[in-house]
Amino acid sequence: MLRRTFAIAVKELLQLRRDLRTALTLIVMPVLLLFVYGYALSFDVQHIRLAVVDHDGTQASRDAAQAFLRSGYFDLIAQGQDERMLDPLFDRGAAQAALVVPFRYASDLSAGRATTLQFVLDGSDSQTATTILGYARQIAASLSPLVDVGAASGPIVPVPLVWYNPDLSSTRFLVPGLLAFILMVSSVIATALAVVREKERGTMESLRATPLVAVELLLGKTLPYLVVGFVSAGGALLVAHLLFDVPVRGSLFWLAAVTLLFLAVGLAWGVLVSTIADSQQVAFQLALLSSMLPTMILSGFIFPISSMPAFLQWLTRIVPARYYLVALRGIVLKGAGPSVWWPEMASLGVFGALLVAIATARTVRSL
Amino acid sequence: MSRPTVVARDLSRSFGRFVAVDRVSFEVAPGEIFGFLGSNGAGKTTTIRMLCGLLAPTAGAATVLGLDIATEAVAIKRRIGYMSQRFSLYGDLTVEENLRFWGGAYGLFGEAIATRMEWGLDVAELAGRRRSLVRDLPGGYRQRLALACALLHDPPVVFLDEPTSGVDPEARRRFWDLIDGLAAAGKTVFVTTHAMDEAERCHRVALMHAGKLLKLDSVPRLKAAFAAGTVVEVRCPDPARALRHVESTPGVSDASLFGDSLHAVLDRPSRRAELAARLDAAGFAPARVEAIEPSLEDVFIHLIAEAESEAA
Amino acid sequence: MRTLVNILKKELLQLRRDPKILPILFLAPVIQLTLLGYAATTDIRRVELAVCDLDRTASSRELVEELTRSTYFRLTAAVESQDGLDQLLQSGRARVGLTIPAGFAADRSAGRSGAVQLVADGADALSGTAGMTYAATALQQATVAAGVRPLIELRPVVLYNPDLVSCNYMVPGVLAMILMIMTMMLTAMALVREREIGTMEQLLVTPLSPGHLIVGKLLPYALVGCVEFSTALAVVLFWFGVPLRGPFVVLVLLTLPFMLCTLGLGLLISTLSRTQQQAMMLTGFVFILPQMLLSGFAFPIQNMPAVFQWFTYLVPLRYYLVILRGVFLKGVGPSVLWREGLALLGLGVAILGLARLRFRRQLA
Repeated sequence: MLRRTFAIAVKELLQLRRDLRTALTLIVMPVLLLFVYGYALSFDVQHIRLAVVDHDGTQASRDAAQAFLRSGYFDLIAQGQDERMLDPLFDRGAAQAALVVPFRYASDLSAGRATTLQFVLDGSDSQTATTILGYARQIAASLSPLVDVGAASGPIVPVPLVWYNPDLSSTRFLVPGLLAFILMVSSVIATALAVVREKERGTMESLRATPLVAVELLLGKTLPYLVVGFVSAGGALLVAHLLFDVPVRGSLFWLAAVTLLFLAVGLAWGVLVSTIADSQQVAFQLALLSSMLPTMILSGFIFPISSMPAFLQWLTRIVPARYYLVALRGIVLKGAGPSVWWPEMASLGVFGALLVAIATARTVRSL
Repeated sequence: MSRPTVVARDLSRSFGRFVAVDRVSFEVAPGEIFGFLGSNGAGKTTTIRMLCGLLAPTAGAATVLGLDIATEAVAIKRRIGYMSQRFSLYGDLTVEENLRFWGGAYGLFGEAIATRMEWGLDVAELAGRRRSLVRDLPGGYRQRLALACALLHDPPVVFLDEPTSGVDPEARRRFWDLIDGLAAAGKTVFVTTHAMDEAERCHRVALMHAGKLLKLDSVPRLKAAFAAGTVVEVRCPDPARALRHVESTPGVSDASLFGDSLHAVLDRPSRRAELAARLDAAGFAPARVEAIEPSLEDVFIHLIAEAESEAA
Repeated sequence: MRTLVNILKKELLQLRRDPKILPILFLAPVIQLTLLGYAATTDIRRVELAVCDLDRTASSRELVEELTRSTYFRLTAAVESQDGLDQLLQSGRARVGLTIPAGFAADRSAGRSGAVQLVADGADALSGTAGMTYAATALQQATVAAGVRPLIELRPVVLYNPDLVSCNYMVPGVLAMILMIMTMMLTAMALVREREIGTMEQLLVTPLSPGHLIVGKLLPYALVGCVEFSTALAVVLFWFGVPLRGPFVVLVLLTLPFMLCTLGLGLLISTLSRTQQQAMMLTGFVFILPQMLLSGFAFPIQNMPAVFQWFTYLVPLRYYLVILRGVFLKGVGPSVLWREGLALLGLGVAILGLARLRFRRQLA
């Protein structure tokens, strides 16, 4: 059985080698994509467009504004003394935030009276807004000493510490997710197209006439793409490590192992798609739709699964990338060993086996 | 001939370095069934596509109904009918809907299309199946329908590119009856084919090979080009192996396997006895060499072999 | 005119007969919108919190109460030792760890500050940042409640989306994405199919001009797009309850130039799809993926390096997202959005022009 599978795999590999463009695309594309989007995508908010309305006009008020600008997060885009200038700025999106310093700010401060700084925010993009608010709070806290106005007890002071990603750079968090996304999409598409191409050409018919068993056929066809996918995954990880500072704190061996498993499941998914589609067009679309959108949105790549409603969290269980990400992020960022992520990988393995079973059943039925 | 409907002069088309059509010149008379004969890749489809305004020539010129194909393609399209090699009607539409759509594409609406549709249904013998989906029709009917759609606007010239490919012999014969009818009505029919028996039904045949026009003449005259008695049929045991011996016999210009016998072209009738003797001596007894009426295929093979040896 | 109607009729007939069309047209967008509308949330809630309370006083328990009362945190474990906490963080079962040292309450009653250790899992930057922020805010509030106030208090005023609900921001985005993908793919498919089955050549031999063909092909899919848009919009408005603050008319009117772009892109894709395999894979990655990732849908454009920000000026979805979010959230109208509308129109014309050029060139 192994020899026949191997024969199919060799044929596929030869065909792939001759179709150099496709082969190169399969290997280079993921690396290229990671490179491009690794740079592009970030949640780290910078160059926040800030308007300042200063009703006080004193040194203290200017200091307050300066504190915001000096932090490096904010860019001053407008300054004035009339709050009415803010509405059109926000409507147009010219301003994202505004600092309003009240009249008598300085005198209140020097008299030891509590005073407020108004901070206006464009709340449309709640995530960015929350981040901006966080910055603003930090800056305001640094501006003002804590004053005991007859307190019953001392203040609570948090000592914050961030593990694994001390500067909370979103890139280190996003890049592994991006990698999973890219790998999933390319392996599904590559496989689906490969199998359907065979169907379209009609060579599937002749293959059926041979003593090949359905499983051997499927395995043989997808094996080369496993190798190709693995190579490109390696390249992408290298790029991630060198260019985006993504560390590899855990064991390389386990990293390779979980990546292989994930690729295999992606291929199985592609095979399943190919059993449903009859033409390459349909295969491509089905592969794209079933892998791209769900992986982007439901895998935990961008949006945290724990924040989703319960029924959706349930749905994410059929997104292979979800499991892979736990292991990938664990190994790469946390140096976590199998004891931590084996449940996810086991689930992935079971899921993969299920896919293969369904795909095989469908292929056998059509044979 | 009275004003020719199609004139081609040194018409050529290359794709990069590949020369698909090489300086082809001919004229087609009105009411003629003009056959373009050649194997796949000979340049027939490319030529027809140039004449229909689908492809621009890289050199040379041609006119259809007096209109220049390079500059007046749109005007030409209004006046010609075309049936492409690939079946090109909408399988997911009914017979009626296809007729109505293609009629509309040629500007036929209202009364006009209603009349022509009935005609089309008649010609295709689909009057009782006007609401069937085209993909449910058998092959022969589909071809007839495609022809009807190409003729809805009653064009004086019709271009048919391998119109009977994949159709059973009975349906093919009936299709050609239709073509005969068209020519009798005065329409010019320009048809490409690689089936010899169909070529025999054309008034004149142009033989194409490797982009070049080898010969253009009426079928009887093409056959007469071979002197009587020089095309022979060889019957002997193991013809496949005997072929080599026949080919190497002096005076044999070409030979080929024909079913379970061999056909050969001799330079003079007296060679017949020599050939038979040679085969007997070589161990292929008993060998019988008889003169036969050359078929178009014989002519074709001979001309191609001649062309290729000239090129070599 | 009649020729156009003729082509339109044929297209619609074909559409109606295609059994796969109906679910793709109506069911798929609705399902996708519903699913993704819920999933695409950046509201960090129920952050897994683990607590190690080494003080075990009423005061420390009160603090933990404070934190877990809100929906921001979900208490997943209370452990006895710091090691236990570390393990939970490493395994990802907790995203934020709070350690209250022994002597916390005592310190505070003596008027000294009580330090607590907050550890966040930075590997999940979103939850990590959010968790930290929530915790810090909650602690500050607890401090204030105890009577200690900062001298300068920052009072936030949140415009357009006071509850900072990401749904109102993301769901219109999902609507735009689905509309874009659907119209683009349907148009591209239709044209390539025409070429595939061979009717394209037959069409080219008729007196129909390329212009007729293009318009005839795009118009039915524009109609389809409108129907899909209406369906999806209904889901957004009535199911998700996203408030529409701006003029409805503006929304509808400005969707048209966007569809012009997506239909044009579909046409362009079809002219590129000669060898279907490679072309389609490339277009999926070249046309769909960049629009998903770089249009500002999930990742803010302003966070991107300058080069990318320049590039997004060519992405139709970018402008449409501004329009959608402007009309829905900010309630602004044409006086603000005319620039985006114009940009879409310009892009649409350019794309169609390019597509038409390629289409005609393929004739000879």
